[in-house]
Amino acid sequence: MVASSAIQLDNVSKTYISRHNQVTAIRAVSFCVKPGEFIALVGPSGCGKSTVLSLIAGLLQPDEGEIRLFGEMVKGPSLRTGYMLQHDGLLEWRTVAENIALGLEIRKEINKQRLKQAHALLHELGLGHADQYYPSQLSGGMRQRVALVRTLALEPDILLLDEPFSAIDYQNKLFLEGLLNAILQRNEMTAVLVTHDLEEALAMSDRVFILGGQPGAIQRIIQLPEEIRALKPLEARSHPLFRPLFHELWQEIQQPHSFHKEDIR
Amino acid sequence: MKAFYNLLKPPNHADLYARYLWRLRLREISIRLAQISLLLLLIGGWEVGVRLGWIDPFLFSSPSRIASLFVQMITEGDLFHHIGQTALETLISFLLGTAGGTIIATVIWAFPWLARVLDPYLVILNSMPKVALGPLFIVTMGAGFGSILAMGIAITIIITTLVMYSSFQGVNPDHLKLARAFGATQWDLFRKIIFPSSIPDLIAALKVNVGLAWVGVIVGEFLVSKAGLGYLIIYGFQVFNLTLVLLSLFIVAICATIMYQAVAYLEKRLLRHRWTE
Repeated sequence: MVASSAIQLDNVSKTYISRHNQVTAIRAVSFCVKPGEFIALVGPSGCGKSTVLSLIAGLLQPDEGEIRLFGEMVKGPSLRTGYMLQHDGLLEWRTVAENIALGLEIRKEINKQRLKQAHALLHELGLGHADQYYPSQLSGGMRQRVALVRTLALEPDILLLDEPFSAIDYQNKLFLEGLLNAILQRNEMTAVLVTHDLEEALAMSDRVFILGGQPGAIQRIIQLPEEIRALKPLEARSHPLFRPLFHELWQEIQQPHSFHKEDIR
Repeated sequence: MKAFYNLLKPPNHADLYARYLWRLRLREISIRLAQISLLLLLIGGWEVGVRLGWIDPFLFSSPSRIASLFVQMITEGDLFHHIGQTALETLISFLLGTAGGTIIATVIWAFPWLARVLDPYLVILNSMPKVALGPLFIVTMGAGFGSILAMGIAITIIITTLVMYSSFQGVNPDHLKLARAFGATQWDLFRKIIFPSSIPDLIAALKVNVGLAWVGVIVGEFLVSKAGLGYLIIYGFQVFNLTLVLLSLFIVAICATIMYQAVAYLEKRLLRHRWTE
């Protein structure tokens, strides 16, 4: 079977059950992401953005529907995905070099060649000198760059980003956005970005998915025009079409959604 | 003398950094001097008090008596035998208690159902004064080495289990999520994330256990032994040789401090690169 989508969600629902209540995070969500495409998921807190990402990463199993990556059903963490969180999650007791090898160790893919590639990437991100440092010796922006190398060292086809730049300063954020954009294009990677930052969503992605409601569902999809998509994230922000799009997105997110409380007992 | 004078000589007024260091150095020296003076004052006061008849040497001995007994026992050669015996018992029970507690914690971490089942038992065992188990150890293991070790282990193992189990559960959830996304198995999670991130708590448990193991072993020796520092204390007490009791106490204090410092050194080596969040 030849898959035309990198990621395909088909009628996916997920309910969290605890002793005191059950909450349906997302209901009947379906979408496709083409190989090499960059999509952003935005929406208010609690709309199920991170749930969608965790489902794609195979960290959660859907209650209904199915998820396919390049045509293959997701049953657990896939070797084709790389996952990045808001907090760098670097292990304090490992050096930078040991931290970037963590994923390779766990996947038992560690060898000289892969380590060499990871170090080359570290160099490219301006941290070639820091491989024997410990995380406590690095700044927040440097730490997040190390986390990026750790994820990219696994050579994923799909990059899953859960607010990766929200905890670092604005200057570093712009720098990292540009860097990531270049790496994604060079390697033709598919990416899903969850973010609260609407500018970031528009500047980096090809399509923006707005999630809303409770349980969460896709409320609208904004397709970025070719002129903006061709630009680097920093330049995209100053394109004349960018502001109107930003306002459109802002309006959409402000709209009240219908609440379904029937799931809360 | 000249070197000492140079150490205290104030540096050039214009050099702010040198003056800062000089002031720090003076402070350090004053603290050390005060510590040594306090020790000399206590020992000197004790000795003088005994000589002037203010303190009863039959009850409280005197520094000179303790020192001469120390020299006598060293020349006779049996003091090191007693020290070695107790230090060995303490070291073994300290290591076995800590390792055993960590292993139990690992097992109940791996099987949460078991953790729930064992929870009340651990709480009761932890609350119970372990030295009260002495008679049971003696009847099952005989009046000797085994019972003393059992006492030292009993007193350290439960608290280590509880501390390590709660440390395993307190691991940063982001680290776990990330490792799972990499495809980590339970065993990967344990050895790559959970155990290494619990090392600071393991060291804290080691520090507590140094003291506890000494309690267990000394009490064990009170009950059963024919050698060791605990034996010397109880023997000295029975024949009313308080000089022997006090000498043994000093040696216990010194040995326990050395073990504690060894753990503190280990802590410094292992935790060099961690920051406290």
